[in-house]
Amino acid sequence: MTPAGIRWIIFAGLFAVVTLSYLVVVDFGSLSSPEVQKSYDYLENLPEGAVVMVSFDHEASSLPEIQPIALAILRHIFRSNLKPVGVSLFAEGTAIGYRLMNKTAGEFGKKYGTDYVFMGFKPQQIAAILGMGESIKNIFPEDYLGTPVEKLPLMADIENYDDIEMVISIADGSLTVHWIEYAGAKYGQPVMAGLTAAMITSYDPYLSSGQLFSVVGGLKGAAEYESLIGRKGGGTRGMMAQTTTHLYVIVLIIIGNIFYFRSKTKSGAKQ
Amino acid sequence: MKQRLPVIICFLAGAIMFLQYFSPHPVARSVYSAILDYWQIIFAFTLLVGVAAYVKSNLKQISRGQDIPYRLVAIAGIILMPILAIIGGIKIDSPFLWVFENVIAPMQATVFSLLAFFVASASFRGFRARNLQASILLGTALIVLVGRVPIADMISEYFPKLTFWIQNYPSMSARRAILIGIGLGSMTTAFRVILGIERTYLKGE
Amino acid sequence: MKNVGSRFIIFALILTNARDAFADDIAGQASIWFDRATLPTLILSVICIAIVVYAIRASKSGRGITIREIPGLAAVEEAVGRATEMGSPMLFTPGWGGDIQRPTTIASMNILSTVAEKAAEYDCRLIYPTHDPVIMAVAQEVVKESCYKAGYPDRYRPDDIFYISSSQFGYAAAVDGYISRTKPASVFLLGTFEAESLILAETANSIGAMQIAGTDSTIQLAFFIVACDYTLIGEELFAASGYLSRNPAILSSVRAQDIIKILIVLFVIIAMAWATIDPLSTWWKF
Repeated sequence: MTPAGIRWIIFAGLFAVVTLSYLVVVDFGSLSSPEVQKSYDYLENLPEGAVVMVSFDHEASSLPEIQPIALAILRHIFRSNLKPVGVSLFAEGTAIGYRLMNKTAGEFGKKYGTDYVFMGFKPQQIAAILGMGESIKNIFPEDYLGTPVEKLPLMADIENYDDIEMVISIADGSLTVHWIEYAGAKYGQPVMAGLTAAMITSYDPYLSSGQLFSVVGGLKGAAEYESLIGRKGGGTRGMMAQTTTHLYVIVLIIIGNIFYFRSKTKSGAKQ
Repeated sequence: MKQRLPVIICFLAGAIMFLQYFSPHPVARSVYSAILDYWQIIFAFTLLVGVAAYVKSNLKQISRGQDIPYRLVAIAGIILMPILAIIGGIKIDSPFLWVFENVIAPMQATVFSLLAFFVASASFRGFRARNLQASILLGTALIVLVGRVPIADMISEYFPKLTFWIQNYPSMSARRAILIGIGLGSMTTAFRVILGIERTYLKGE
Repeated sequence: MKNVGSRFIIFALILTNARDAFADDIAGQASIWFDRATLPTLILSVICIAIVVYAIRASKSGRGITIREIPGLAAVEEAVGRATEMGSPMLFTPGWGGDIQRPTTIASMNILSTVAEKAAEYDCRLIYPTHDPVIMAVAQEVVKESCYKAGYPDRYRPDDIFYISSSQFGYAAAVDGYISRTKPASVFLLGTFEAESLILAETANSIGAMQIAGTDSTIQLAFFIVACDYTLIGEELFAASGYLSRNPAILSSVRAQDIIKILIVLFVIIAMAWATIDPLSTWWKF
């Protein structure tokens, strides 16, 4: 069989495995890793009314994986009566962030401007992160809806990172590194991350050095967070697909090695 | 002079950005804020340059009859989106946002999802037990693959712990070593640029 | 309030947020030129600069520097030769993750310069799609200069160096499209890559292209190693400039890098031993 043929079989198999997995609902019970537990505990122990910044640093492409993480964290924030300030350092995360904040705020009866705000998008991430260390109002003179920042009651007492307890960067790339290296290193701002699974390992060094406070990673992280706040969602639903996909890749690796050893034996026999 | 002036500008900008880091003085802060403001303004203008170059390049290729369908879609997109933004704005419930959420976002998610297919094909081709080192890599990959999904807890409570250990000790120490090398490489490259030793980015090197 | 001492806001002298400590701290800092909290960073930076300057000066006084062979860079000639023999173009892209101020992008420009010079020499087409308009402008200048250096200024094709999209997967889809349609014989993936790395590398692999990759993103290195023929791991990318140009000043900065690395290793060993003997010690933390 040609390499292109093998590729098509592999791709078709993966498509079938993922599609079928979404038709089956399996409850994996209560889940929790130390990292997700740490994130949950931190937000749980903040005093009511504390301000956290949620930055939607992702593109639309990663929404299926990012959305369950963002929803779980936002629900926890609103349930704990914390006050989130939403921003986005990726243009594509802007509308998504606004919708997610509105959706979750609505579930808890929170009022825009007083209980939460969404400042919108700012290009040039490093400059924006550094600039907010000096003055958030300078970087965002008005919110996403065009309301001047002076007219937002929540922003009245917020000048810079000194007034923000935690920055939660919901990201699908390396933008959280900028938060760590600039907001964290220069301004001492604690940073938490909600990341796609593919990006988790690249943040491990920051995590173990303490530069990154904690991580809620991938669908599994979302499922764990959903389990902690007691509300199942996209993360829990995706767990079956993720499990079967991992098992599928393991089967592929084993088959690949069987082919490899068979061809090796044949070429050995010919010699 | 054509070369010396950019090198001098580069040196001064690099030196100012380096020194301001250590100073809380109002003068240093205001210089720094001004640089950040100019940085944002310059970036906005470079986007205009990019869009102009993009349109020019596509029109030229269309006139040559190359990849016409693709080029037409590209040009249509770059015309349609600003028109929608000018007519209805870019805020919530605008036509611009509708196109973004219902056309662009699903298309992007589709391209991202290709990654899963390519991971499967690359794993099939790449993970072969060719020698001892490759076999260790293969075994580790299998443990981590199982350890990262809930089924690991059902097999044994030690499975996730073993995965955690692999990721946080052997894997992390290797990655840290690479990161230190990258950090030093970045630093010396930055020094070379600031000191004017590295000039490939300038015309007339 | 966190780390107030490292901040200064001038109008806080007049407008306080009713917290006395804030106003006092600011007033006390009005004439401070140096933030003592940054002293360790300053000392380490000065040491590193001194080592780099020393290494560059030492290189002028005589002994040449040898650098080990880097297979990925040694294969550049082979990649250009392959494309020329097959009559197919080459594709070079710096990834979506970097901008022009990133050292990785500058390092990839050094390799682009060599590839473009050889491409001009052999009259081989070089396609350079990018996600950043500034990178596009700089790459155009680099390639143009390389064509002049090779003695073939007429072989410079500005239309082959173009901006695609700042969107990650818009960029990935477009580069994938180029790879599928133009079927380049050689593909160079050198720069800062993120999730698009494997999409590009596997597509290039599927058309049988020879691939040379290199990045500073540790997670993407694993993908490149699986899918590409040669991979420059992290700092090898930064050493490329010295390796390809054999410029003594650049090579000596690579040596400085090694000296600093040895000092870091010594520090880690000493700190590790110290912390083992005296677990309460903290001098090594800063």
